Amino acid sequence: MKRLLCLAGALVACLSLSVSALGADAAGVKVPAHQRFALPNGLTIILVPQRDVPLIAFSGFVRGGTLADPAGKPGVASLVAGLLDRGAGARDAYQFADAVEGVGGSFAAAAGAESISVSGQFLARDRQLMIELLADALIRPRLDATEFDAYRDREIEFIKSAKDSDPSQIVGIYGRAALFGSHPYGRPQGGSETSLAAITLQDVQAFHAANFGADNAALVFAGDLDAKWMKTALTQAFAKWGRAAAPVRDLQPAPRITERRVLIVDSPGSVQTYFWLGNVGVDRRYSGRPALDLVNTLYGGRFTSILNTELRIKSGLSYGASSRFTRGSVPGEFAIRSFTQTDNTGKALDLALETLENLKRGALEPAMLESSRAYVLGQYPLQLETAAHWAATLADLEFYKLGKDYIEGYGPALAKVDLAETAAVTADAFPRPTALVIVLIGDAAKIRETAKKYGPVTEMKLSDPVFAPAK
Amino acid sequence: MSKVSARVFCVALCALSAFSIAAPQPVSPTRVPGLDQVKSTTLANGLKVIVWTDRDIPNVALYNWVRVGSRNEVPGITGLAHFFEHMMFNGTAKRAPGEFDRLMEAQGGSNNAFTSDNVTVYQDWIPRSALDLVFDLEADRLANLSFDPKVVESERGVVYSERRLRTEDSNEGFLAEQVQATAFVAHPYQFPTVGWPADIQGWKIEDLQKFYKTNYAPNNCTLILVGDLSAEEGFALAKKYLEPIPRQEPPPPVRTTEPEQLGEKRVYVEREAQTPLLNVAYKSPAANDPQGPAINLLMTILTEGNSSRLHRLLVEERKIAIDVSGYFAEGFDPGLTWLSLTLPEGADVAEVERTLDGALATVVAQGVTDAELVRAKNLYASTFWKQIATINGKANLLGTFEVFEGDYQRMFDSPATYEKVTREEVQKAAARVFQKNRRTVGILTSPPEKPAASAAPAAEVKP
Repeated sequence: MKRLLCLAGALVACLSLSVSALGADAAGVKVPAHQRFALPNGLTIILVPQRDVPLIAFSGFVRGGTLADPAGKPGVASLVAGLLDRGAGARDAYQFADAVEGVGGSFAAAAGAESISVSGQFLARDRQLMIELLADALIRPRLDATEFDAYRDREIEFIKSAKDSDPSQIVGIYGRAALFGSHPYGRPQGGSETSLAAITLQDVQAFHAANFGADNAALVFAGDLDAKWMKTALTQAFAKWGRAAAPVRDLQPAPRITERRVLIVDSPGSVQTYFWLGNVGVDRRYSGRPALDLVNTLYGGRFTSILNTELRIKSGLSYGASSRFTRGSVPGEFAIRSFTQTDNTGKALDLALETLENLKRGALEPAMLESSRAYVLGQYPLQLETAAHWAATLADLEFYKLGKDYIEGYGPALAKVDLAETAAVTADAFPRPTALVIVLIGDAAKIRETAKKYGPVTEMKLSDPVFAPAK
Repeated sequence: MSKVSARVFCVALCALSAFSIAAPQPVSPTRVPGLDQVKSTTLANGLKVIVWTDRDIPNVALYNWVRVGSRNEVPGITGLAHFFEHMMFNGTAKRAPGEFDRLMEAQGGSNNAFTSDNVTVYQDWIPRSALDLVFDLEADRLANLSFDPKVVESERGVVYSERRLRTEDSNEGFLAEQVQATAFVAHPYQFPTVGWPADIQGWKIEDLQKFYKTNYAPNNCTLILVGDLSAEEGFALAKKYLEPIPRQEPPPPVRTTEPEQLGEKRVYVEREAQTPLLNVAYKSPAANDPQGPAINLLMTILTEGNSSRLHRLLVEERKIAIDVSGYFAEGFDPGLTWLSLTLPEGADVAEVERTLDGALATVVAQGVTDAELVRAKNLYASTFWKQIATINGKANLLGTFEVFEGDYQRMFDSPATYEKVTREEVQKAAARVFQKNRRTVGILTSPPEKPAASAAPAAEVKP
C-alpha cells in the first residue's frame, strides 16, 4: 500500500552511487578506512572494519554473468548462481542451507549482465563458518544432477508465476530484449522458459570451470571484523582457488536505435497496460554523471519528477511513473516505466512522450536544478549507512575499476553542475521521443489500434515461453 | 501489523577445516545497546514523541504512526484509510496540493507512507538541515488538511491504478483479498486495505472530512525521530509545531469482535493462471498476545529459508510447490496466520493440501526440534540487528513496539524475550493456531477448459 511504487533506485543504477558532501554536512561522505590486497592466485580482498552492530556483511563478484552465457542459452549464469549454495564442499543442499540459517546467516548469489554477485551477512561470532561456506560455494559447488534438475524446473515455474502475478516487474526483460537484440544486455538474465529447458548440467559445469577463478573475482567484507584475523583466515580458505579457465570476453557497446517501434505482449483480460520506453543510454564511466543524475532525478527519479507529476499527480492516470539509466561497462538502457488502465493507454503514452519532448527541447529552471541538487545530496548518506552498504559499494567500485573519488568526489562534482552541463547531458544521453523501443504488456485486442500510432507493431503473447517474438 | 557479540579472538586457525563447525549455538541474549539514547515525552495535547539519537549519518528518519487503518472502516467507505493517506500529501489551507513534496524534496528530504489493517504510518527521510521545515509540514497537514475536489478525483484514479496493479492484475493479490474477506464475517479485518472497487469510486469529500476529524487527533498519533538530533531538539520542535494542535476526542474503539469460527471455510477463484495458488489462513491472536513470540518462531521454523520445514518438504523433497511463505499478521485485534503456496503448472492441489495438513499435524503432535528452535531464534536475532543498523529500521522497530506492544522499551528486550521461548511453547502455539475448523482455505486455478465445440454435449446447448 505504499504511496510510492519504486522510485527509489531510480536515481542511478542497481548499486546506487549518487553522493553527498554539501547539503547537510559539508564534510561529505568519506569511504571508510579499508585494506585491499590480492592473494598470489589473483583474488582481490577488501576488508572494512566498521563496528556498529555485531554483524559482518560480505559482497563480491565473479566476472562473467549473462555476458558469458553460451550462445542461445541465456540463463546458464543464473542457474550457476542459484546452484552455488545447493550443495558445496562437504555439505549437500540441505546441510548448506541449515548451516547458513542455523546461525541466522544469509547467503545470496545472483547473475547480472556482467558478473555473478554474492552477498550475505553473518553474526560476527560466526565469521569462521561464513568464510568456509563462502569458499565452498565459490570454489567447490557440487553442481549435481538432482539439484540441477529440480532447481532449473522451479526457475521455469517462477517465470510463469511472475507472469500470473507481477507484469510490472517483468516488462523490462521484454524491453531489453527488444532494444538490445542479440547483444548480451538483451538476454534475459534469469533465462526464459525455453532457454532454461534447453540448458544441461554440462553447460552449468562448463560455465563454472571457465569463469570461476580467483583472478576473476573479488570479495569485500565489512562490519564487526578484525582485519588481521580475517586476512589470515581468508588466505587459508582461498589460497588454493585456481585461476579461471577462460578470460572474460570483451563487451562492445550496442548502437542506439534511431526510430520508434512497438512490441505488444498480449495479456488477455489484463485491466492495465504496463509500459516501458527505452533506448541505449550511457556507461558507468560517463563523464557527465553528476549532471545526468540531477536531470534524471528531475525527470523521473523522485516523487515530484516531471513524469510522475504528469502521469500520477496531475492526471491520476497511474500509480507511478519513473525513469532510470542502467550503466554498465558499456551503455545500458535508459528506460521510462509506468502503467495505466487499458482504456487510457494512448493518453498515458502521449503524456510520457510529451514530457520527453519537453525535456529535450526546454531548459531547466535554476530553481529546479537547485532542488535536484539538494535532493541527491540529502539522500546520499542514507545509501551509505551500513556495513552492508559499504561492502556492496566497494565491490561495485572494484568491479568497474573506479577509485574512491567516485564516492568522495561526487558531492563536490554535484555542487559544480551548472545549467550548461545539464543541457549538454540532456541532449546527449536522453533519447529523442521519436527513437524508442516501446513495450506494452496488456490486452492486445483493446490496445492494438492505439499502438499503431507509435510505430510498427510486433506482437507476442505473455504466455509465450520466451521474452522476444519469433523472428 | 501488515506487511512487514563480542568478538572472540580465535587462536585455532587449524579449526578452519571443512568439518570444524559445531552445531549452531543460540545467540547469547546480550542486551541491545541504545536504550539510554532514547528519550520520550508526551505533549500537552497527548501526542507522544520518542527520540533516538544516532549521529552516524547527518540524517533523520521521522515516523508518524497514526492509530487508524482499514479496521476502522465500515461498508461503503472501505479503502478510505488508505485513500486518506494519499490525501495527506495533497494540500492544506496554507499550502497548495503538491507543495508538501515539492518543499521537502527541495531541501533534500524524501517521504513515503503506508496503510495497513491497523495503522497508517507517515515516513520522512531528511538531512538534519530540513528538520524545521519537516516539522512545519507535518504539523500543517495534521491541523489544516483541505480537500480540493479536483485533486480528490485525480487521486481516486491513482488509487484505483494501485488496486489494478496489486489485486486485479495479480493472481496472488486477488486470492489473498478473497481469503481475507472470507475469513471474517463481522470484524472489519475483512475489508481490503486498498478498498473495494465500488467504494474507491464512491467515497465523498464528506467522508474524508469526517474521517480526518475522527482519527487524525494528535492524541491518536505517535511520533518517532531517529538520527542526528538530540532529544531536547526533537522535543522543542514538537512543542513548537505540534503542541498547538488541540487534543480531540479519541476515535471510537472498534466494537465488533469476530465470533468464533466453528468450521473450515473455502473460497475458490477461477482466473487464468499458469501456476495455481493455495492459501491457508488460520484465526490467530492479537499482536500483544503472550504467545506472539512463539507463533513468530513457529512460522520461521516452518517457512523461512531453504532449510525451513515446509520449504524442505513441499518444495525440495516432494516438489509439489515452487514456493511457500507464511507469517503471523500481528494486529490490534485477533487476526490471521497465513500460509501461501505457489504450485507448479498442472499441480494436484488436493494432494498439496493433504501433504501440508500432514506436516502441520506433525508439528502439533510432535512439536519442533531443538535445532529448529535455535535456528529460528538466530534468524530473529540477525534480522533484528540488521534492522537496527539503520535509522530507518530503528524508527520502524521503535514505533512497532510502542504502538502494538504498548511500550517502545520492549524493543530492547525482544531478543532476550525470543531467546526464552521453549519448544513446549512453540508446540502449544502450533496447537492453538493450526485448527482446521478455524481456518479459511483459498484456491486459485484456471477455469476448467471449455470442451471443444464438436464434443459439447447437447444438454449444454442453450435455447
